[in-house]
Amino acid sequence: MPDSYLVHVAGAMRSYYKDFSKYAKGREPSQKVAWVTSFTPIEILDALDIEYIYPESYSAVIAASGLEQPLLEESTRQHLSCDCCSYSCCFEGCVETGKGPRGVPPKPDVLIATNNQCNTLPGWWNILAKRYNVPLIVLDYPGEFTEDPIARAYVEKQHKDFVTKMEELSGNKLDENELAKRVENSINSVFAWKRVCACLKDKEVPPTLLFDNINFLITARCKEETSLIYNLMADEMETYPECDKSLTPLFWIGYPLWYHKDRYLTEVMDGFRVCGSNYITWWNLDYEGDSVWDKLFTAYNNTFLNLSQKTKTDRLSALVKASGAKAAVTCRNKSCKCDYVSAKNVGIPQAELEVDMIDREYLDVERANKLMSILKETIS
Amino acid sequence: MKILSMSGFVPEQICDTVRFTGFDGSERLSHYCGYAADFISQVREDASIDGAVFPKSCDSSRSIGSYIKDTGKFIYSMPVPAVRNEASVAYFAEIIKDYKSKIEQHYGVSISDDEIRARDEVISERNMKIALVNGHLKDFSYASYIREVHASLNSPYDFSESRISAGSEGKPVLLVGSFLAAAELADSIEKAGLSVVADNLPESGRLCMPVKAGIPQDDIYTKIASEILSRRTSPTQNMFDEIIGFDLDEIEYTGCKGVIFATQKYCEPYDYLFSVYKKALDGQGIPVLQLQLSDSTDGSAHAAALEAFADII
Repeated sequence: MPDSYLVHVAGAMRSYYKDFSKYAKGREPSQKVAWVTSFTPIEILDALDIEYIYPESYSAVIAASGLEQPLLEESTRQHLSCDCCSYSCCFEGCVETGKGPRGVPPKPDVLIATNNQCNTLPGWWNILAKRYNVPLIVLDYPGEFTEDPIARAYVEKQHKDFVTKMEELSGNKLDENELAKRVENSINSVFAWKRVCACLKDKEVPPTLLFDNINFLITARCKEETSLIYNLMADEMETYPECDKSLTPLFWIGYPLWYHKDRYLTEVMDGFRVCGSNYITWWNLDYEGDSVWDKLFTAYNNTFLNLSQKTKTDRLSALVKASGAKAAVTCRNKSCKCDYVSAKNVGIPQAELEVDMIDREYLDVERANKLMSILKETIS
Repeated sequence: MKILSMSGFVPEQICDTVRFTGFDGSERLSHYCGYAADFISQVREDASIDGAVFPKSCDSSRSIGSYIKDTGKFIYSMPVPAVRNEASVAYFAEIIKDYKSKIEQHYGVSISDDEIRARDEVISERNMKIALVNGHLKDFSYASYIREVHASLNSPYDFSESRISAGSEGKPVLLVGSFLAAAELADSIEKAGLSVVADNLPESGRLCMPVKAGIPQDDIYTKIASEILSRRTSPTQNMFDEIIGFDLDEIEYTGCKGVIFATQKYCEPYDYLFSVYKKALDGQGIPVLQLQLSDSTDGSAHAAALEAFADII
């Protein structure tokens, strides 16, 4: 019987959630715990045997479980504005009430936030730091807004200081070979994930599968088994039948809607098929460089949302072109100002939908239907 | 050269800029800070403005460049450090040098270090004068004071205590928030029977920190970077504990009876700060009034809330 990726997925999930309260049942984690944002250089943490947890991802899981509404309401009672990122509002409700589909994550020993996707995350991490009274480390990535030599020196210094702090926390000494191995694992994960993404264009692949399974590239990109999962997944998908070419190929720009059973608006997309998405490429980090420090700099300084508008537009346009899309849905995500302008000038007709990735009550389905009808008329 | 600048993180020492204080613009972006949208409007709509400089310090400001890049005007998005330490000062000094160099390239001018030093003296003198008045705010009309501050943010950077009206008796409050573009809000505060005796606004209370000893004087860029990053903390600098601790001390020292927390709607750094600030002040029994301003011209629609707050305290 061929090895199925699903077996490895189950193992990876068990490993990630082992210290959440529903499974730990009072048992203390055996490692130090860091709560991290999704573009944190976790290769460093992994090499130092520090466990890392992703609050953003857990908010997505909460919404996918249909539990977000009471938690969003609770965050308002905690004086957190509902205008803030709904990942943060949902998670605030979870840690305040102790309610979540897998309980609550193990308490952090340290909080690590980066600003290479947005400036909201460090703000959110500040309120977590007040709640748990643990150290907050903010890694500052200038991105394409700063000339390379200045940014490189600044980021490399921060990475090395970060190592020192994490060595103190964990009591372990960083072995640079171990770090290099994690970086290599990440490179392999990205490579294998690109194989998976390539199947979306021509194969009968539900986009839901990609929206859900990118999770491992986010939370476990430097683990050896992640590339194994993705290579097995790609092997399987490559055997899928060709997609229905009579449907109009459509590019999904923006976040998946985590609360939706399909993660995108299947109910307003009659006659369309999703042939591409930019979200599923966001963690295709480019670890280019000679030394391990160069590689970490390139990967984490030049994340998609940390690039100039010109580079973002060029990259997105190239993605759209490669997908063969004839139209696009652009999600104007209430929770993400930074992603609003990603979609400028991609060269195909777009329907701009006002959505939120967590809050299911934000979408006006009737209006979304109208906009999709207009889109259909435009391209027919 | 007429560059519109936003934020106290933009060094005033490099060249004259027009500090953005408000604009009744047409740009409205959903779930986007109205103050930043008005800045975008002015850059786009005001033909006399030929450039823009703004920080990359919050989600709205980091995408301003995307909305104005087609104007053909000088645009500089300043990646202000998100943390404060020795490395961030050295980095910020390099950014300031880069800013100067980009201005020189765009406008075909040359800016010498001596010119920057001379400007630095003027700015330091103005800040000192503001600090002297800020230390005795109870003696002045806050509305008159903040207008004088705003006028002094542009060349010739002249600030004079003599132009500020005397204050009247009112219940003492601390004013917290982002740049008070709509100075009419200060009028409404005073009309409600409240008296601002302390503030931590970027253009006022945050300019007034005593300059720390040991700031290097030999390299002008490091000096400027160091001074800006020594000021009272902005929520974009990720030190909420320090902000709350400092404000609580100031409330005790000045005898404030309450806090007015005035920020722009969709301003996430202040929204996150407020959630923990409110809890900290509730714990001390200090009332807080949150006013969410819709844009840079929203200053007069809060009279009822202010009067009710005055009654409470």
